[in-house]
Amino acid sequence: MFLKVQLPWNVIIPAESLDTKGLMLQKSIIIRLLDDFSTKKATKDLGYFLAVTTLDHIGEGKVRQHTGDVLFPVLFSCVTFKPLRGEILEGVVHKILKHGVFLRSGPIENIYLSNQKMSDYKYVPGENPIFMNDKLSKIEKDVVVRFSVIGTKYIEVEREFQAVVSLEGDFLGPVS
Amino acid sequence: MAEKGGKGFSLPKSSLKSPAHLKGKDDSPAKSKNGRKVQFDSEDSLESEINLSSKACGKGDTPFGKGDWGKGGKGDKFANGGKSSMPKGSSTSGQKNEQGHTELPKNAKCLMDCEAADILQGIQEQMVVLSEDPTIKIPIPFDRGLQYAKNGSRYTDPESVRLVLEPLKAHGVSDSEICMIANICPESLDEVFALISSLKGKKNKVTQPLKDALSELTKLKQSTRSSN
Repeated sequence: MFLKVQLPWNVIIPAESLDTKGLMLQKSIIIRLLDDFSTKKATKDLGYFLAVTTLDHIGEGKVRQHTGDVLFPVLFSCVTFKPLRGEILEGVVHKILKHGVFLRSGPIENIYLSNQKMSDYKYVPGENPIFMNDKLSKIEKDVVVRFSVIGTKYIEVEREFQAVVSLEGDFLGPVS
Repeated sequence: MAEKGGKGFSLPKSSLKSPAHLKGKDDSPAKSKNGRKVQFDSEDSLESEINLSSKACGKGDTPFGKGDWGKGGKGDKFANGGKSSMPKGSSTSGQKNEQGHTELPKNAKCLMDCEAADILQGIQEQMVVLSEDPTIKIPIPFDRGLQYAKNGSRYTDPESVRLVLEPLKAHGVSDSEICMIANICPESLDEVFALISSLKGKKNKVTQPLKDALSELTKLKQSTRSSN
């Protein structure tokens, strides 16, 4: 699900970019914020960071001793994407194995759909293996599948989410 | 900072979370039927092949271990407010997941795919100007997020969709449920109830208003699904 979040952050402006005033200062705060935002990539609570929409408030800067950098508390709004348990999402199949398939959905790279979670689909081996059910509905590479999210996991080191998903239930499966 | 924010506020379930988590391994019979269990028979071969494993998964916690994935198991059921009307386990779907809103950070608001598409598209349009300045960085997930939002949004006018669905709040439908309805772009009431299991408990209350909303939504639907 996409989320709209308002966040308070601190932006540190190095002393050397402080010799300009007014608008330039504001610009360097924005640039710095965007930079931090992009570097952050994702957090466990908020999901993937997609974009800053507005910079709502810039607080009073505080000079840091020793370095001379200035720290500005800012308040901004952003859009994030977080996979939630129980949510219905769509993803594109990118790998098919005997035990299940891997999908991508939005910024999430690794989504696993186990064959046990799509019990009516059977594995059909071959050069390009697929999963197929009695109604000849096929799950093959590059097919879009609608699924429900059973569980998610956040990998701190990579700042990535992984998810396990299921097709058990009505109205789930390949989307034409 | 942002990370810190998260801990305190997971809603009612947080208290249940840890017990459920602890129980994780010893499959209590109650839940065995509907498969909280996500078993991966050949973890090893999988791992090596797809390199899904990561250092973060670390200690004793196999990448696909039951540990962290959906700690829900039992907790979920309770979290559903103990609605005995919920067909426990007998439903065709193995998913008794409740809505994600318990995982929502408190300062976050759900967006429908079409709303997100609108916002991200707006930023994309500025991109020509933005990309001239190499100091401005665009987050890597941006493109994929935009893509997803565009593919997922079946409505051209997010505001009207909001207007149609907003009245459902008066009938106890939560914000995240409203967004899910919009994202699913349902064709029938059955579809809504099948996919959003948390609404089943409120079925009596929401059926009629939902029906009205759906017929309105159908009018707002895009005639063709955008495919880029």
